Amino acid sequence: MAWNIGANDVANSMASAVGAKAITIRQAVFIAGILNVCGAVFIGSHVTNTIRKGIVSTEILADPHLALIGALSALLAAALWVSFATWKSLPVSTTHSIVGAMIGFGIMAGGFSVINWGKLAAVVTSWVISPVFSLIISFLMFKVIVRLVLSKKDRFIMALKSSPFFIGLAFFVVILSFLFKTPLGKKLSVSTPEALIIALFSAVLLGFSGKMLLKLFIKGDMPNGTEEIFRRIQIGTSCYVALAQGANDVANAIGPLAVIYFLVKTGSVGAKVPVPFFLLLFGGVGIACGISMAGYRVMDTIGKRITTLTNTRGFCVDFAAATTVLIASKMGLPVSTTHAAVGGVMGVGIARGIEAVNFSIVFKIMLYWVLTVPAAAITSMIIFKILQLII
Amino acid sequence: MRLPFLSMFITSPFDGIQEHAEKVKECSWAFQQAMECHVSQRCKAFEEFRDEVDTLESQADAIKRRIRGHLPKGTMMPVDKFQLFRYLREQDQVLDSMEDVLDWLSYRQEPGIRKELEKDFLLLVDAVVNPIEEMTEMVTEARKYFKNFSEKQRNLVKDIIRELRRCEHEADKLEDNIKQKVFNMEINPVTVFHTIRLAEFIGSIADHVENAGDMMRAMLSK
Repeated sequence: MAWNIGANDVANSMASAVGAKAITIRQAVFIAGILNVCGAVFIGSHVTNTIRKGIVSTEILADPHLALIGALSALLAAALWVSFATWKSLPVSTTHSIVGAMIGFGIMAGGFSVINWGKLAAVVTSWVISPVFSLIISFLMFKVIVRLVLSKKDRFIMALKSSPFFIGLAFFVVILSFLFKTPLGKKLSVSTPEALIIALFSAVLLGFSGKMLLKLFIKGDMPNGTEEIFRRIQIGTSCYVALAQGANDVANAIGPLAVIYFLVKTGSVGAKVPVPFFLLLFGGVGIACGISMAGYRVMDTIGKRITTLTNTRGFCVDFAAATTVLIASKMGLPVSTTHAAVGGVMGVGIARGIEAVNFSIVFKIMLYWVLTVPAAAITSMIIFKILQLII
Repeated sequence: MRLPFLSMFITSPFDGIQEHAEKVKECSWAFQQAMECHVSQRCKAFEEFRDEVDTLESQADAIKRRIRGHLPKGTMMPVDKFQLFRYLREQDQVLDSMEDVLDWLSYRQEPGIRKELEKDFLLLVDAVVNPIEEMTEMVTEARKYFKNFSEKQRNLVKDIIRELRRCEHEADKLEDNIKQKVFNMEINPVTVFHTIRLAEFIGSIADHVENAGDMMRAMLSK
């Protein structure tokens, strides 16, 4: 399952960077692998909790035997469905598959009443909100870049001048998400205003040191200086996406596994058992393996297909997608990185930043949203029944 | 692997437009050579150049069809889809009218262009070929504008469009001059008709270049 996520979803995080020629394929695979692990381990636990016990109410999980079968069937169903989709080249979301599978098992095990509809509604709403949110961010970001940098006479100087702002902004969100509610943040135990100040301060610091680095690397007489600056910044933002992706997507693989783990270890599912560190690590490594094995082929396709994306545009897309996903994972909502990235591209497209974007694809993606959840749910139900017969 | 994220990106129609513009430019050179060849009367290569224009025209047509056929419904671009198509149509008509001129010439090769009109015709051909090169330049510069949206770049493109308009005006004057001369010559009426239409056909090349410029101006409007 984790392998599948790595193979499939890595495209979303690194696509704009590779497409805009900010990094090579090899670099992309490497960066995505490492940062997915980091994101999974340090920020990932929230979404895992949602999947583990948010959608299906914990009462049904009280029966360890039933819960074991359920979690197993959910995991199998989601993995099966995603593998099938990959084989058939269907654009499905791993996030939606696992949510659908959990629902299916919940219904089989305890009827419709055990599904936490409120939580489920929140999750479903987040699927709609996340692309819209990402769209707005990337739209605004692109407008800001055009206004501040691109339309100016000496674009290069302006790009360099404003670079601390863009770098700082990206770091601000990353640091904030690290400080809030992560195992790391808890250990440091900082309060909200303190965290804001720390994040702001270090963002400014990192922003300016980023500018220094840029100055060091880029000489002013380059023919395409502006894009060159954003190329460097984009390397940073694609790391940011990979991090956010790790945080959000690890839950897809680890959620049901966490349930199984506790059953085997403690014999029951407590409501408040934290997800152990090594499971997150395991999930992260799984994703990284998927990236390193299948990522190359995906990236290669991307590099050849996306030719209309320049570095400034890529930066906007990356930034919007990562911010959306990171905020969503903070709120414990499993959103799809694909949708966030699609929203980001649409934002820049609406701002008239890309020579040609095909928007009709959005409707196709929506269709698969609607299809994935019930399909995964039904698969999960069937596997649940079979497993019940065997065990 | 078909990723939904990937299918959002399609080949830019501006690539095609630029490619098409390059073809028009190449074709204009062949056209100029064909015309000079015809005027000089010693040259035997007229048909060869005419064939070259024909091949280039059909290649450009293929590019045009490719652009039109590969913009799915719901494509978001910096410019309106139909503005783009109308621009492309004008750019393509530049080619078509070059072909028309050579066809018209081939119908009645024999008496050729009269000695006293030779210079005027060569001037007219120059006057319509020069803006074509400007037009190709305009496409390149306009693409840059759609990348950075800077006012300076926009003015650069607008200047080229103004230049195209001026060229068309020049060509018009030369065309009028030829017509006036022809009507005041005591020659065979068929020759008069052939020469007048020839001048009009050549003049229409510049008209279409100007129209293409105007369409580009419409695409630039904020």
